Amino acid sequence: MVEAPMTVTRRAARLGLYAILAAVAFIYLMPVWVMLITSLKDVEEIRSGNLLSLPSSLNFDAWVTAWGSACAGSSCEGISSYFWNSFQIVIPAVIISTLLGALNGYVLSFWRFRGSELMFGLLLVGCFIPLQVILLPMARTLAFFGLANSTPGLVLVHVIVGTGFTTMFFRNFYIGLPQELIKAAKLDGAGFFFIFRRVVLPLSTPIIVVTVIWQFTQIWNDFLLGIVYSGAETQPVTVALNNLVNTSFGGKQYNVDMAAALIAALPTLIVYMVAGKYFVKGLTAGAVKG
Amino acid sequence: MAALTIENAVKNYGQGDILKGINISIESGEFLILVGPSGCGKSTLMNMIAGLETVTSGRILMGDDDVTNVQPKDRDIAMVFQSYALYPNMSVAENIAFGLEIRKVPKHERAQEVERVAKLLQIEHLLDRKPGQLSGGQRQRVAMGRALARRPRLYLFDEPLSNLDAKLRVEMRTEIKKLHQNLGTTIVYVTHDQIEAMTLADRIAVMKDGIVQQFGTPQEIYNDPNNQFVAGFMGSPAMNFIPAKLAGTAAAVTVEVTDANGAVQQLPVPNSAALASQIGNEVVLGLRPEKITEPLPHKEADPMVTHLPMKVLVTEPTGADTMVVSELNGTQVDCRLGPRFDVTPGAAADLMVDMSLAVFFDKATGERIDR
Amino acid sequence: MNQQTNTAGRSINSAALSPLARLQQALADQLPKLVMAPTFLIIFVCIYGYIGWTFLLSLTKSRILPVWKFVGFEQYEKLFMNDRWMVSLENLVIFSFLFIALCLLIGMVLAVLLDQKIRNEGFIRGIYLYPMAISFIVTGTAWKWLMNPSLGLEKMMHDWGWTSFSFDWLVDPDMVVYTLVIAAVWQSSGFVMALFIAGLRGVDDEMIKAAKLDGASMPTIYRRIILPSLKPVFFSCFVILSHIAIKSFDLVAALTGGGPGYASDLPANFMYAHAFTRGQMGLGAASAMVMLGGVLAILVPYLYSELRGKKHG
Ligand SMILES: Nc1ncnc2c1ncn2[C@@H]1O[C@H](COP(=O)(O)OP(=O)(O)O)[C@@H](O)[C@H]1O
Ligand SMILES: [Mg+2]
Repeated sequence: MVEAPMTVTRRAARLGLYAILAAVAFIYLMPVWVMLITSLKDVEEIRSGNLLSLPSSLNFDAWVTAWGSACAGSSCEGISSYFWNSFQIVIPAVIISTLLGALNGYVLSFWRFRGSELMFGLLLVGCFIPLQVILLPMARTLAFFGLANSTPGLVLVHVIVGTGFTTMFFRNFYIGLPQELIKAAKLDGAGFFFIFRRVVLPLSTPIIVVTVIWQFTQIWNDFLLGIVYSGAETQPVTVALNNLVNTSFGGKQYNVDMAAALIAALPTLIVYMVAGKYFVKGLTAGAVKG
Repeated sequence: MAALTIENAVKNYGQGDILKGINISIESGEFLILVGPSGCGKSTLMNMIAGLETVTSGRILMGDDDVTNVQPKDRDIAMVFQSYALYPNMSVAENIAFGLEIRKVPKHERAQEVERVAKLLQIEHLLDRKPGQLSGGQRQRVAMGRALARRPRLYLFDEPLSNLDAKLRVEMRTEIKKLHQNLGTTIVYVTHDQIEAMTLADRIAVMKDGIVQQFGTPQEIYNDPNNQFVAGFMGSPAMNFIPAKLAGTAAAVTVEVTDANGAVQQLPVPNSAALASQIGNEVVLGLRPEKITEPLPHKEADPMVTHLPMKVLVTEPTGADTMVVSELNGTQVDCRLGPRFDVTPGAAADLMVDMSLAVFFDKATGERIDR
Repeated sequence: MNQQTNTAGRSINSAALSPLARLQQALADQLPKLVMAPTFLIIFVCIYGYIGWTFLLSLTKSRILPVWKFVGFEQYEKLFMNDRWMVSLENLVIFSFLFIALCLLIGMVLAVLLDQKIRNEGFIRGIYLYPMAISFIVTGTAWKWLMNPSLGLEKMMHDWGWTSFSFDWLVDPDMVVYTLVIAAVWQSSGFVMALFIAGLRGVDDEMIKAAKLDGASMPTIYRRIILPSLKPVFFSCFVILSHIAIKSFDLVAALTGGGPGYASDLPANFMYAHAFTRGQMGLGAASAMVMLGGVLAILVPYLYSELRGKKHG
């Protein structure tokens, strides 16, 4: 197709369009930019300058403090141990819920049984109920099994809450694969797990990536389950960050708050930058479909 | 020995019967075609034969074995699907060998088998490719290769050619026919294409609404259809259905038609005995287009042949012959004329009607009444 | 070669199976259900069972520990007499309405702007969407600093010469709920944009070409043809945003702590406070049930129309 030469008004409109998009981009970027430069200033500079004034020198003291010695609640050891807590919660919870979701999706797509559609419907509705309605009984159950305030307890809760979503992702993906593929494998003599391993899993890479990223960000960013079910030693980083920000022994150290917040945000931001394409897919999966 | 017997098979998904008591039996080495309009239950029946769907009631036997409740993997059946269903993550060779691998056939035997099948289907040069890198026709071949590799007792083909373009479809049709002749395999083949059905089958089961309307050889189905549905489904262009009244005497029943000049003519019927009781009734006369032709000198003496002036509405020369749309008893009828016979649209032409294979149906039920 | 000789004599009679083989067969038949067993447990115990449990709790006088003494709907009466709850409900209405409306508006506009064959579209889209990857706690912390009444935006404007500028919503009980809206919209509008872009890309190109040939201008095409065809996307966004709004808990905790006083509490914060820190389990359970009711009031009609649409479409 041959583009018509741009008229002056059309060119002006394009320019205006780019200006608007840039201005909006600035607004979206500003909060994190402000966090970053604030975390590099010292307390004095924060008081004398303003949000967008650049630090006079790169000063990583606040980051060191936030990591190793800032006070959150009654302990003053920074957020490093909570940062690792989060990983200890996230990694098993992501692996287990993804695996469960894959198997569930496989059954619900290719090995239907009487009531399996109803099961999926109940699971879907379960994805959308407010967690508040299960918080209290869950707490009693964890206490009963001696899992209160423990990392395994928190992993268990995340698996319970996340399996609905992972199942939905996998089932919506598998339902798009040709049913005949599985029929062919059945006639070839393959059994349940063999078909899963050899035929279905090799085709699942995209949806596994989407699910893992989704679950990783969901669980890493969780605050509600963390604050309800973790103990002082097993807190995830979000809970610790909130404690740190709301602890004010002797003057607010905004630079430390910002450094801690950035540390807490870093893993999901990195995931987003590395695999943002899949992240978007994860977000739009199920929501936009014909 | 019957290779496959289906006894009173019924399928119900919960809202009425999809298959309403199917009875079919074929001998070892026979080529059975299931044909019928879309949605009549052909795939469902195939899946039941394969064990991929449960049988609501009735039995399925392979040889003397009742396999009604046997798992698909234990039935020793291979199936070629309409969508081919090739495993996209495996190469062509791996696809072909997959069933053997599961059955724990040693590696070198698998390789031999892949080689044999690839040679048979001329896909040796494709063995290392993934299905995504193949054309439609090549995929089709690989799908057949996968079925052939296992040397099963029974092959099922579910509309295997319907995703190919017209030319390739004819080619593959011939190829499948050759394979069947060379290997002597037992095949059940689904299609909704009546030409495929006629050319490939040893036996045809014509289905509609979950019922087998007729089960027989292609010749029986074509020349001696059970009812108006079967008659209309097989053959292209379709059989003409002409409303007409029976007349004549019990010894020589005739059927009345009005020619282009408005004169009522009496055409002879082949089986007077069966129709004697129907004299005076309105019936449906079924006449294939190739039975209405230009006057053929060698048939002049045939008592079943009559000259009939007919009005020409449209002519459609196809090269080999000329299809003429004409009119009889207020209904359009198709006629097949030789290419050199000259007719003018709008004018009347002197045509020849051969009633030797005419069939008669009840006007209300569509059932045959002349047997 | 003859295939039949190859297969002759293979028996596949199911009646001939040994007991062991039959047991294996039965196990194989049940395998899909066995695999789903943990999920059955999750669904029936941890979701629907627990909802029932919470409902029962809401009918009791339970405080720090469950007490199975039923008092009917007394807790619900208490709840709706409770000023803090009523404030949280009112906040939820304001917050959800503005949050959803602004997210939809901004998201849709950005999607349309980005749909104009923009250079570096992927990059710009990434910028609009990245807040979605961040935890609400981090978002709250950041905006708490930005909107700090003495050192935040206000000071920056003063430094830049606009000395009369005043922005102290964080400590103003009447305005504090709007700070929640600002931060939440910043975080979630990119998500709406992503959904709408995906929807726009799915619109049939030939339909747009046909409209152009009919003489419609681009704005008209968007208004009359493209955006109306995105109704399903619109509904999905609406449901997801409502869900986020009703669940909102972390943002309040990090940005305002519910304050000043309880001026910026949302129902989720009310529930947490009463169920877990103030020893009012019965009341907390009742508030949770009301939240569930709110979600179902949105979700059920949505799912109903979705399922109906599928059957008919
Ligand atoms: N899993 C199923 N549940 C309910 N109805 C089905 C199912 N599969 C097929 N059917 C119905 O059974 C009928 C026959 O389908 P099918 O065997 O696929 O037809 P064909 O292959 O002859 O086109 C159709 O009306 C179809 O809607
Ligand atoms: Mg079919």
